[in-house]
Amino acid sequence: MRPPRSLGELLRQGVLLILGLVSLFPIYFAVVNSFKNPVQYAQNLLNVPPSLHPENYLVAWRAVASPMVNSLVVTFTSVLFTLLLAVLSAYAFALMRFVGRRVLFALVFALLLIPDFLTLIPLYIQIKSLDLPNNYLSIILPTIAAGQAFAILVLKTAFENLPKEILEAARIDGASHAQILARVVVPMSVPVLISVAIIRLIPVWNEFILPSLVLDEAHRTLPVALVYFQGGGNSNPSTPNYGALMASYVLSAVPLVVLFAFLMRSYIEGLTSGAVKA
Amino acid sequence: MHSASPAPRRAARPTFWKRLWAGRRAYLFLLPTFVLLGYFAYYPAYIAFTRAFTDWDGFNPPTFTGLENFRRALTDPAMGQASANVGLWIVLGLLLAVIPPLVVAELIFHLRGPRRQYAYRTLFVVPIVVPSLVLLLLWTTFYRTDGVLNQLLGSVGLGAWQRSWLADQDTALYALIFLGFPYVDAFYLLLLYAGLQSIPKDVLEAAKLDGAVGPRRVWTIDLPLLRPQLFLIAVLSVIGNAQYFLSPLVITSGGPGYATTVPALLMYNTAVKFGEYGYALSIAALLFVVIVLLTVVAQRVARAQGD
Repeated sequence: MRPPRSLGELLRQGVLLILGLVSLFPIYFAVVNSFKNPVQYAQNLLNVPPSLHPENYLVAWRAVASPMVNSLVVTFTSVLFTLLLAVLSAYAFALMRFVGRRVLFALVFALLLIPDFLTLIPLYIQIKSLDLPNNYLSIILPTIAAGQAFAILVLKTAFENLPKEILEAARIDGASHAQILARVVVPMSVPVLISVAIIRLIPVWNEFILPSLVLDEAHRTLPVALVYFQGGGNSNPSTPNYGALMASYVLSAVPLVVLFAFLMRSYIEGLTSGAVKA
Repeated sequence: MHSASPAPRRAARPTFWKRLWAGRRAYLFLLPTFVLLGYFAYYPAYIAFTRAFTDWDGFNPPTFTGLENFRRALTDPAMGQASANVGLWIVLGLLLAVIPPLVVAELIFHLRGPRRQYAYRTLFVVPIVVPSLVLLLLWTTFYRTDGVLNQLLGSVGLGAWQRSWLADQDTALYALIFLGFPYVDAFYLLLLYAGLQSIPKDVLEAAKLDGAVGPRRVWTIDLPLLRPQLFLIAVLSVIGNAQYFLSPLVITSGGPGYATTVPALLMYNTAVKFGEYGYALSIAALLFVVIVLLTVVAQRVARAQGD
């Protein structure tokens, strides 16, 4: 990087650097304190401890290992099927002609006007009364439904903008809609599919309220487990083992760190292009 | 909404059914989505609106009670306090949603060179790897009596300001609203930055010739041209904060007293803790109406300014 040439540039970079570092502070705080024993934590909240206590991670791992697996299963399955269903619907809306197309699309669009809190309570009762073969499904199915509107809107726009000649050529060759979708449309839309997947991934990974209501203890996802691990949820006066607590926070961020190590660029590009146009 | 009534002419009738049959593959493609949406979106929304007028415990058939739930909600003192709280939250939240991302977007946009801009953009997007619930729990520890915030105040000689931020009636709500300094939401930042990038070069050149640089340029060029993005952020922020209740639920349980209770939390507790589902849904319906009104007003304001 070239050195800044003007005072203004220096000032801008200074302000940005400070704000940027402050917004990274929670990460720093969790990491350094995850290596402290209770005494070190009480003495100093900000330093890198002189002697490290990695055993905190063993305690934390015992608490978050199975919720981590649950979160991975729920997030991966939900996002995958969100895409699968949305690809089919977006294809129909973008490239097929049928009676009721506009009405059905308006119905999808109307979902954006229904806020989550409105359906939360009825959804909770409905899921509880539903006899599902697997407890995971009680969060996966509503999560797939919740992702449809956004995914269909973005994918429909992307499919409509595919070069018409290629689709036409495939049709003349006698390819069915299913073949065109699988062999032409999807392969040509990989970037936008990745964008939609990672934009959707974050809220699904973070979801707390509905999972806390419908998942049993064995199927609890990370956010729910973290609140229980922290001790009931209230800011209670009793002092928990902060080192282990911080270690559990760090562990719960690892999957997203790994993901973004590979996909940060497409996340930024996806948000600034695809999402805005939708 | 349009109704899908077929053409009234008798002669058109067979063609309509033929056209319907011709679209069978499309309907097959749409089927999985609409089955899920029907069960997990449309039907719950229908239940929410209809059961708001009933006394319902979630299991037994509801009994119709007309507007009784709404009368109760509008006269409930807890609801009054909750509404005042969410009002403050919406107003302050709007400022926090717009100003910090805008300032940072401007600063980044005026850096020299796309590589440097990309580096700083990335810096502000990185914090999204922290799960939002973890951020809440971390800030809970920052706000504790022995937490980072009080230590910071002590070290700069403001020890008199130290307090138990979340347990204090006067500060608990502000502590939750102002949680998450420096409030640079990654999505809002990228949205505004993309907006700045899309300002045509010749507009900027002309502005420079007219002497519009620095703050004057921001005021006369950037802000008017960023109006669609700013409007989107404002609406998202208002709608988001009006229904937000994660931090009161997880951190304070709406307390101390009702200091951090918001209508959405009241709805949650009324249903989940006390089993009064009909009443809870009337609160949800009221909140929904308020949100729709706010959105319509915002749209009117935006349109009036656009003319």
